[in-house]
Amino acid sequence: MNGFRPVKIGMTVAIFGLLVSLVSLALPGFEQSAVYAAEPAADAAPSFLYEPAPKLTAADYPTVAGVNSRVVVWVFAQLHLWFAAFVLAVPIFVFIIEVIGMRTRDKRYDDMAYEFIKVSITAYSLTAILGGGLVFSLILFYPHLFTYLSTIFSESMFYYALLFFAESAVLYIYYYGWHWLQGGFKKWVHLTLGLVLNAVGTTLMLLANAWLTFMMSPAGVDAAGVFSGDEWAAVHNFLWNPINLHRFVANIAYGGSIVGAYAAFKFLTAGTRQERAHYDWMGYNANFIAICALLPLPFAGYYLAAEIYAYSQQMGITLMGGIFAWLFIIQAVLIGTLFLSANYYLWCGMGRSDGAKRYTKYIKYIAIVLVGAFLVWFTPHTLVLTNEELKALGGPHHKILGPLGIMPAKNTAVNVMIIFTALSFMFYRRSNKVAVVSWEKAGNAIQVALFSAGLLNIIFLGVYHGYFTNTVYKVAASIPQVLTTLVIIVASITLDSFIYRGAQEVGPLRWGRIPERAQYALFLLAVAFTWLMGLMGYIRSGIRQHWHVVDIMRDASSEAFTPTLGYAANVVSVAAIIFMALVIFIFWIAQVSSAKTLPAGYWKE
Amino acid sequence: MKIPRLLQAVLVLAGVYFGFIIVFDVILGAVIPASLLAMYMFFTTAGVFMVFTYDEDQTRELVAPIKALVEDPSKRLWRNIVFAIVPLAAGGFTYVQMQPSFEAPLELRTIHPAPPSTAKIYGKRVNLLKLENPLRKIEKEDPEKFRELVNQGAAVYIQNCQYCHGDKLDGNGLYAAGLNPTPLNFQDVGTIAQLQESYLFWRISTGGPGLPKEAAPWISSMPVWQNFLKEDEIWKVILYLYDYTGHRPRSWEHE
Amino acid sequence: MRQFLTVVAFTLLTIGFFAAYSNYGIPQIEPAPPPKDEKLDLGSMTMDQFVALGERVFSGKGTCTLCHNALGRAPALENITEVASKRLEDPRYEGAAETVEAYLIESLVEPSVFVVTGFGKKGTNDKESPMPDVSGGGIGLSEAEIAAITAYLQDKSGGEITVEIPSGIENKADEETEEGEPREAINDPEALMVKFTCNACHMIDGKGGDAGPNLSRIGAMRDRTYLRRALLDPNADVAKGFEPDTMPPDLGEQMYAAELETLLNFLAGLK
Repeated sequence: MNGFRPVKIGMTVAIFGLLVSLVSLALPGFEQSAVYAAEPAADAAPSFLYEPAPKLTAADYPTVAGVNSRVVVWVFAQLHLWFAAFVLAVPIFVFIIEVIGMRTRDKRYDDMAYEFIKVSITAYSLTAILGGGLVFSLILFYPHLFTYLSTIFSESMFYYALLFFAESAVLYIYYYGWHWLQGGFKKWVHLTLGLVLNAVGTTLMLLANAWLTFMMSPAGVDAAGVFSGDEWAAVHNFLWNPINLHRFVANIAYGGSIVGAYAAFKFLTAGTRQERAHYDWMGYNANFIAICALLPLPFAGYYLAAEIYAYSQQMGITLMGGIFAWLFIIQAVLIGTLFLSANYYLWCGMGRSDGAKRYTKYIKYIAIVLVGAFLVWFTPHTLVLTNEELKALGGPHHKILGPLGIMPAKNTAVNVMIIFTALSFMFYRRSNKVAVVSWEKAGNAIQVALFSAGLLNIIFLGVYHGYFTNTVYKVAASIPQVLTTLVIIVASITLDSFIYRGAQEVGPLRWGRIPERAQYALFLLAVAFTWLMGLMGYIRSGIRQHWHVVDIMRDASSEAFTPTLGYAANVVSVAAIIFMALVIFIFWIAQVSSAKTLPAGYWKE
Repeated sequence: MKIPRLLQAVLVLAGVYFGFIIVFDVILGAVIPASLLAMYMFFTTAGVFMVFTYDEDQTRELVAPIKALVEDPSKRLWRNIVFAIVPLAAGGFTYVQMQPSFEAPLELRTIHPAPPSTAKIYGKRVNLLKLENPLRKIEKEDPEKFRELVNQGAAVYIQNCQYCHGDKLDGNGLYAAGLNPTPLNFQDVGTIAQLQESYLFWRISTGGPGLPKEAAPWISSMPVWQNFLKEDEIWKVILYLYDYTGHRPRSWEHE
Repeated sequence: MRQFLTVVAFTLLTIGFFAAYSNYGIPQIEPAPPPKDEKLDLGSMTMDQFVALGERVFSGKGTCTLCHNALGRAPALENITEVASKRLEDPRYEGAAETVEAYLIESLVEPSVFVVTGFGKKGTNDKESPMPDVSGGGIGLSEAEIAAITAYLQDKSGGEITVEIPSGIENKADEETEEGEPREAINDPEALMVKFTCNACHMIDGKGGDAGPNLSRIGAMRDRTYLRRALLDPNADVAKGFEPDTMPPDLGEQMYAAELETLLNFLAGLK
């Protein structure tokens, strides 16, 4: 059995080499790119003239009776994105967990990392299948757009294909070689493979991001869409890096939440006490990863929105005002759900420790602040009023709730929510420990002072700059707010690590002692995350309005209109249900692969 | 006496609900919209649920009365009463909801619609994204002349705008009570302080009829001022609006 | 199995809640449909778009602003609706029009039917207009474009727009006015003169207007350097007895370099 693995790897490598050579023959772009790479571009350019973006009419879009082409492409793209986000994120934290395992020499971490990567293997092939579906439906329904984009991105598309094979090869070696590459030098080789896997995966994401941000903020082409020949300019367009950052962070949070759901499912169906303990521990770690990535996510999103505004005010206003304004209310509901369920899971998890009673009395205050801040965040700028209320108020403007509807109030609220989530987490970490240092009281006092001062600063910045100064400071005030939040989180964690240096444990942590409700909080986290990503995908694409490539290539199809929020929500919901069904299938497959049936009397002895 | 946890939860929710109503409707005199209160209560309920159920023992205590009601043989009478009341209450609620009323249908106007990128004002097509108040630069160059311009703007305001928007610019003019939607309150931080001057120029010169589709229905009674005022009069009035209220127009550059 | 079904039900319920909230919890605002491309579909144009088309033709392809401008080379059109209704009652008016709309269209295609006093060709006693027929020759506006200009004029002068957006007319409008579409270069000097309406002001061999100098023997009088400058920067040297600011100053931008040379060769050859 042991001899089988190297053979398999050898085969994989051979197949990989074969595929690369096949691709180089099959892809027409290959020779062209090779020529470009070999010769100086200046010599090649005059002989190859790029055409302007085509001006299309409705007749240029092939239709299939009874099929809504945009919805097909939309659903494929969304499903592909969900799976891609998942399979790109899992290796990131598998790598981190593997490092932790190597440092602590705790085999549980290594086993957990292996189980994570096992889940992502099936998802990986589904990603590829769905990506193929996306390309196929794009070529089928939007051939001119696809042709235009592929002339500009011919090189990066080639490298994408190449990297995809590299990713597959590394992933298979990483996964199938897990038990083979153990101990000492071999383990280091395995870890290096993990690093390579992540590097390749991230590069893949960056390339794909370039294509879509090109459609939002085209670069490297002139006003008519004539490509300058400089592909790097087209890749490195205005919104590329903001999207890269946002997606990178969000992918980790998302991957954590899906793995959390996996652990929750296994926990619920576990037969033995040990299994429950194991999956409880796994769920906790997944949730920890998701929360860690969730905390900086609003800032990455804010940066992205600010950059969209900076790129084009028209796009910015479309994003934040008008019809999409209501989308952010839905978003608030979903992010509120994420924060609340993540906190709830932490509170439930305090039951694992016998020392938690010292902290549970604070939970209700955390809850009050969280819900309060969330209500502020959720308050819309434009209220839905009945006629009677309109009369009573004397108009659509509400003097109390109106000021809560604008950005400074929301920024303040979200920072408060993040700080209190961090506080929940701090209590959780403390719950099983008793400090032994002499200055514990003073340390606690500093912690209280730190949190109070930070909160006061955030609220002051929000209220003063938000309502009593020029608008430009309104936007600017969000940066010191964010910095305050980050300082509080980092400083409190550092301080706590000193206070609890050499701390005693109250008792062993009882993994598995957690209500089943908490597992549903993990499911809620995963579902809300999935749905939210779908919704934000709609708006990211929707702000292009009736353009394929903004201001360069117009969408002339009958489906060029911007759909209403309800319509988008329905498409996203259907896609999310398909995704969840596929995810459950993957979980099931992972379970089947480890199940064994011993058929008595079937095989001859 | 210790209050049962189920009752505690119900009391907290009722307290929050009536707290909102008392604070907004009675103390502050600004009703809280029912649609918003419903969502507020939804999330408050979620919060209360979370606080009351994170611990296994406490959860058992919470649901004990409900369990007892359903399972305990000695509570048969109560059970029957509850089982009769609940469907009746649900039916009654449905009936009230479905009952036709004389209330006019909801109108969901967007009061702050996204401006078009260009608009036709005074027979010219202007780019609203780039348009700036031509008089704004005088504020720094020649403060005395600027004061003069603001005073001229004030005169235009008093002659034309104050009847609806009020002499204190608070949207409470003589005719305000007769209008729906009511005239905008410029003193509020959520109105002109959020906007660029070009937005005001667009709204003033094209008035209610110039609103884009998403701001339908076009029931705003704001006149199309480009038919009555000169271009520079509108710009002067805008100077006055910001000057009197002490707000600064939204801009993307530091001053 | 029970756990599995609970999880499925929970997931569906959550997604259902999000979808229901997005559909019923918030107002459904229908975004404005994508703006219509005017030249593609005249039939579905709104009057605003039609007027805007008229405005573009007026200052672009129609070359109307060459003369109908603030300099008063041709009658001002700011109040044309009001003025036109007076014209209809003017005893000198002999045309067939009975409405403002008809009068405007008539003036566009048959400019000499009624010539405003003082604006006729010299020596014709205001019987003949220097304005060309916009539907023919170098300007060549289509019926739809003429209607659009009429609508624009009515709109601009504060009148009621009575023009109806033509439908069913084969629309060759806009093909040339479309910005960014390169125009074919013209090699023939005569065609160039027509295209840039030089004859409206300059007389050559007894044909053309008299707002600018007679060019019949210009090659003998001026050298190429002078002529080039006169074309590119008309106000540099204004011939004696003629008004400055009359000739369009942007010919250098409108013409291709080759066209400029063709025209210069032609002018220099007029001896």
